[in-house]
Amino acid sequence: MKSQPFGLIRNRKALVGVAIIAFILVVALAAPLLTPYDPGARVGRPHQAPSLAHWLGTTRIGQDVFTRLIYGARTSLAVGFGAGLLITIVGTALGILAGYRGGKVDEVISFFTNMVLVVPNLPLLLVLAAFIGQASPWVIALILGGTSWAWGARVTRAETLSVKQKDYVKSAEMMGEPRWRIMTFEIFPNLISIVGINFIGSVIFAIITQATLEFLGLGDPKVVSWGTMLYAAQKASALSVGAWWDILTPCFALAFLGIGLSLLNFAVDEIANPRLRTGNRLGRWSALIRSGEGRL
Amino acid sequence: MAFLLRRLCFYLAAFVAAATINFFLPRLMPGDPVQIMFSSAGAELPPESLQALKLTFGFVDGPLWQQYLTYLGSIFSGDLGRSIKYFPLPVSTVLGNALVWTVGLMGTATIISFTLGTFLGILAAWRRGSLFDVIVSVGAIFATSVPAVVTSLIVVFFFGFTLNWFPTGYAADPALDPAFTLQYIGSVLYHGLLPMLTLCTVLTGGFAVTMRNNMINLLGEDYIVMARAKGLSDGHVMLWYAARNALLPTVSSLAIAIGTILGGSLVTEVVFNYPGLGNILYQAILARDYPVIQGQLLIMTATMLVANFIVDVSYVLLDPRLKRA
Repeated sequence: MKSQPFGLIRNRKALVGVAIIAFILVVALAAPLLTPYDPGARVGRPHQAPSLAHWLGTTRIGQDVFTRLIYGARTSLAVGFGAGLLITIVGTALGILAGYRGGKVDEVISFFTNMVLVVPNLPLLLVLAAFIGQASPWVIALILGGTSWAWGARVTRAETLSVKQKDYVKSAEMMGEPRWRIMTFEIFPNLISIVGINFIGSVIFAIITQATLEFLGLGDPKVVSWGTMLYAAQKASALSVGAWWDILTPCFALAFLGIGLSLLNFAVDEIANPRLRTGNRLGRWSALIRSGEGRL
Repeated sequence: MAFLLRRLCFYLAAFVAAATINFFLPRLMPGDPVQIMFSSAGAELPPESLQALKLTFGFVDGPLWQQYLTYLGSIFSGDLGRSIKYFPLPVSTVLGNALVWTVGLMGTATIISFTLGTFLGILAAWRRGSLFDVIVSVGAIFATSVPAVVTSLIVVFFFGFTLNWFPTGYAADPALDPAFTLQYIGSVLYHGLLPMLTLCTVLTGGFAVTMRNNMINLLGEDYIVMARAKGLSDGHVMLWYAARNALLPTVSSLAIAIGTILGGSLVTEVVFNYPGLGNILYQAILARDYPVIQGQLLIMTATMLVANFIVDVSYVLLDPRLKRA
């Protein structure tokens, strides 16, 4: 009886998450229709407080914060989903390869995976970005893809090891199907839930990391994104001069998007994860105990 | 002990890998990397610093492998070259001073949030579906999905600038001399409280979710039912039968989380103007002080490996199966 409100929350999480992401996506796509200004142009006096003409005020050099926010959403979303896709592809491919082939291939891939996992990610990214100079969003997406696949590879490998023992894989092997075919058409479709969780998690990671790198001054300041908005606002000491709209706007936007994606991730996790499929049995078990003891 | 020895060898290899990245990166730059680094630093540098810069990156006469070995040799003897911004201070001194603050901040925050998160996770799983569980789960989603930089900025805005409750910079009152006096220690605590609370906010949720999920997996096990059937008290079953076993995977997830914690503390230090590694690094990035940027990767990697090793040791202590192996 307790499982019903729980299921409702589960659906609500996914619904709210998707709604948040869709809202940001629509606003980003419709940016030119929503604002009369250009994101790079100086359209007002410096650090004006929010008003009817400038809904979220202006920056230190008089750019419209609302305009930058909705144009910046394009960059943050594009890099997030682009890098997320790249991270997932690399991680999934290596994970399936290591798990299915086993032996030497597995040893080499697992060794590199574990090594990448113990080298701290952000410091490594900082060094890479520093040598590239002012990295454009696409370069940041590329280095994220190249350095952040290890977690996905490890999880996918573990799942592959269990899927590989299934009868349908064995029968495909008996029929002499080529290895690449077994990996792409027999194993990959059965890992789709873990790949999905990996993808959403990677998108969250990419959006956060891109914003962090840009905040630390390693992005291209000419690009309009939520990270460069933070960088510019921090550099203009927005907080100490009281221009809270300049710095809190990208802050809340990042938090909003992060929460939307996380809600979706948790929902997918709850629905797809076989562990949580035992939820009903567990619910019955705890209801049984509750009826017996009145507490748990 | 073979387990720990194997881990040590692996960590050594990982450290060499990080050093190798550092060695080859400047060599992948187009043109003369030392000249580029020298000119991008922008400051008026004495000519002898060019030579120091060359030595930092192992640009000695001889074939590549010889340069590589020279570089590794100097890294392992603790010589990370000289900083451009703080010339002629060695990188190891610049970073070493900052490391103390970072480790203090990060260590305290990790211990507090791990303990708190684990307990919240245990209780949430034990009362699965209750109001408490919903609050913990949803709260954890909110706390973990907001980037550390955003949490830090919001906290510093409200508690630092608006309410003026806490200082917004430095690790201690700069007017005080560092000494083991009550006043100085109090000042350190007062300055460290806000960044530490921020880090705890960022970290606790993740630990709570991990522990909750691990607990839920275990609650259906026969030995839990058995413990209840024996008539053991609720709290006893929860802590000594369920939580004790659920702690193992949580500890191993702690090892992976250390990288995230490091990243989070870097950002928090920048926002709070706290004199740890993050802030030094931020200044180094702005000044394009490449030796310091590279040195921090090695120091961070070493910190992470040491932390991982501590986790390994505690794993051995927690899991009797590994003690025998």
